[in-house]
Amino acid sequence: MTVALVYHEDYLLHEHTPTHPERRERLTYTMDQLREEGVLKHPSVEVVEPERVDESEMSRVHTREYIEKLKHLSDEGEGALSADTHVSEHTWRSALLAAGGVVEAVERVLDGENDSSFVMSRPGGHHAFADSAHGFCFTNNTAVALRKAQEDHGVDRILLWDWDAHHFDGTQSIFYDDPSVLTMSTHQTGRTLFPGTGYSDEIGEGDGEGYNVNVPLMPKTGDDGYRQVVREVFEPIARQYDPDLIFVEAGQDNHFTDPITDLGVTAQGYVDLMDAAVETAAEVCDGRLVASLAGGYGIEGGLPYTNLGVIASLAGMDTSNVREPATYEPPSDGPSADRAVAKVKENLDDYWEF
Amino acid sequence: MIIGVDAGGTNFDAVALEDGVEATAKKPADEDGAFGNLLDELLAEVDEVDRVVVSTTRVLNAAVQERLPDSTNVLVPGVGLSPELAYAGDENIVAGGCVDHRGRVTEPLELDADPSNPVVAVTAKFSTRNPTLELEAADALDADTVAVGHESGGGLGFPARAETTVANAVTKPVFEEFESTLYAALADAGVDAPVYYLKGDAAMLSRRAVCATPAHTLRSGPASSSLGLVALSSVSDAICVDIGGTTTDVTLVEDGFPALTESVGAGKLCTFYDGVVSVDATVGGDTRVDDDGLTGVRDGSAAAFGGPSPTPTDALRVLGETTEGDEDAARDALSKLGDPDEVARDVVDEFVTAVTEAAGSLERRAETVVVGGALADAVAPLLDDSLGWASEVVVPDNADVCGAVGCAVARVSVKTNVHIDTARGEMTVASAGEEKVEEVEQGRRYDEDDAREVVARETAEATRRAGGDATTDEVEITSFRSFDVVEDGRVVGSIVDAEAQAEPGGRYL
Repeated sequence: MTVALVYHEDYLLHEHTPTHPERRERLTYTMDQLREEGVLKHPSVEVVEPERVDESEMSRVHTREYIEKLKHLSDEGEGALSADTHVSEHTWRSALLAAGGVVEAVERVLDGENDSSFVMSRPGGHHAFADSAHGFCFTNNTAVALRKAQEDHGVDRILLWDWDAHHFDGTQSIFYDDPSVLTMSTHQTGRTLFPGTGYSDEIGEGDGEGYNVNVPLMPKTGDDGYRQVVREVFEPIARQYDPDLIFVEAGQDNHFTDPITDLGVTAQGYVDLMDAAVETAAEVCDGRLVASLAGGYGIEGGLPYTNLGVIASLAGMDTSNVREPATYEPPSDGPSADRAVAKVKENLDDYWEF
Repeated sequence: MIIGVDAGGTNFDAVALEDGVEATAKKPADEDGAFGNLLDELLAEVDEVDRVVVSTTRVLNAAVQERLPDSTNVLVPGVGLSPELAYAGDENIVAGGCVDHRGRVTEPLELDADPSNPVVAVTAKFSTRNPTLELEAADALDADTVAVGHESGGGLGFPARAETTVANAVTKPVFEEFESTLYAALADAGVDAPVYYLKGDAAMLSRRAVCATPAHTLRSGPASSSLGLVALSSVSDAICVDIGGTTTDVTLVEDGFPALTESVGAGKLCTFYDGVVSVDATVGGDTRVDDDGLTGVRDGSAAAFGGPSPTPTDALRVLGETTEGDEDAARDALSKLGDPDEVARDVVDEFVTAVTEAAGSLERRAETVVVGGALADAVAPLLDDSLGWASEVVVPDNADVCGAVGCAVARVSVKTNVHIDTARGEMTVASAGEEKVEEVEQGRRYDEDDAREVVARETAEATRRAGGDATTDEVEITSFRSFDVVEDGRVVGSIVDAEAQAEPGGRYL
């Protein structure tokens, strides 16, 4: 069993502003942890350096006007797509490399070169729409890679589970009318967090009706709440949809130390989430599983441990000692996910058996 | 004058080097007072000694022959992957306590187990960023011999550091025994110059640093002969063949320096140290010959030199390829296996074939072969016939003491990991031996040029602590990154993390 760990030093180049939460230490601290743990030299891990995608690959998802705008701002060396999403001279090339990372990760799994893969890239992409972006994102790297996989490999059905704390508004919009990519998001409810969307009645449209699943969760929701969603929503839908590939958009900002969200997941909770993805992939699609780092801003907190936990889970390593150091106190019980789960079932009752 | 000493399993060789080789000496390793006799002979022709540099196969032999003591491996793994990944000891004890990636102690040490072995290794996760917990654990243990992880070397990699620390711990007793004998002989001979040892990567290190990390010497033997043959023959690319009494070492030279490989080990030992690329053929001039040919075992000297059994050295003597030693004794010994001339031809054929195979087993870009060792002159012409791919087979002057020459031309080089965290106000410099931990100006921000200058300066200083004299210009920074630390939305300092080393090297004579 080998996991491709897709990483490139150039993922450290792009920066928004000097104190922006989406900054390079998200990766450097994690890479330190992985190096010290011996993960990068472990026989079940293959470190892979990706290449940039061609600009034409971006056109699978993004409009020509938007691509030109991003390139232009990058050439200028400054600019912003929104109040929190800043362009630097490195942004465009970093986006091409981030998309290249996801493409590489997906192709390796579909080609059978690796059982699974994890992409340690930035900038992220799930708030990128076809013609715009916000929320620290520029291009929808996952959508680019999945579209390419469908065209080059003839993949029929892909299950995309985005567990980032923020609703995947860009990704949802790209696949909203498309049943070939079932999109599911678990996130902190839009009533209390950016981008303010992602309610459970957003179920897709046209041919895609019933193929978009939103599970908005109350602030402070912790490991138990997430386990309930896995058991009652993710697993039943995955079995019925019977995908050829499972893709996890692994946002690590559900951790209780994350400074810009308000959820209560622990490092062990993250291990459980990835274990569930691994087991489900084994059951429904011969284990074909790709995960890609999305958010996660607990740079001085839990991020290295959540990242270690999900990568170790993918690699089948013993994860029983993965936890936060004692200096971080995990939250007591969070709110129940009963209501959120019930509303999902209610909205999607016509399409799936729960 | 620099003294080079090559303490092999069969012979101890020494040279005195200034602009060239000024004097040489050679004594059998099993002779009583071999070091003293060797030094007496050499020092008769030497006025002043600037330094002594030694290579030894003692640690390697003990590892290969599994004569090392059992170890207790004390781990402070903190949080993360299972500590079992670092179970490198015969006994493994997991202590509580945690250091994080920033070098902050996030959980205190908790250790209440008693090691059942007198040799103990202590390794904590992220100890190169903060050695405190390792030092506390080492203090708390009642053990004869202790090695600590942060002294094993710089860089990250807890499981490999634990393995390396165990390797250092279990080789300390055998190395200390060897080292104290040599040190006493030097003192008796009135030599008080600094003493260095050659590491397996063909760079040298101070006696003190090697006493903390003796597993560095696992490939000391082939490193010394390779570096020596380069110096003596001035080759740039070559295969070097050093024919010893017990074994023959084949090494690869590229761009004027021995080619290196990572993660050298031997027997049960694994390390994260580099070593010369080397093939070790178990044939040498003193290998016992029986009815089936070469045995791979050395009983003692060749019969021609008073030894108990027939050997390739005797075969070469009988065939007239060499002129030293007692021909009648050599002939007598071989005659026990049949017609002595016929046996001698068969033995030499087998010997040359074995060396040819070893020499041909390395991926090479060179066609030059440089031969060293006591039998070099006799064997080189035979190898020239046998090595189809070689364009030339060279035996330089003083090839019989090439290992000692290699020691004498070596330079000090250590790999360092420099980590500066001005948000914490601390800098750590980990290399071989004691780690430097120093307070730095809190909140200071570095631009890249300034940071690189600090890394070069600290590496040069670490090289000097290890006995070298590198300048900052000679430091190569192999990895570098720096970034601001942001806490609660404010920039509170910088982190600089770099790996570097003073370039190793030798010289042409």
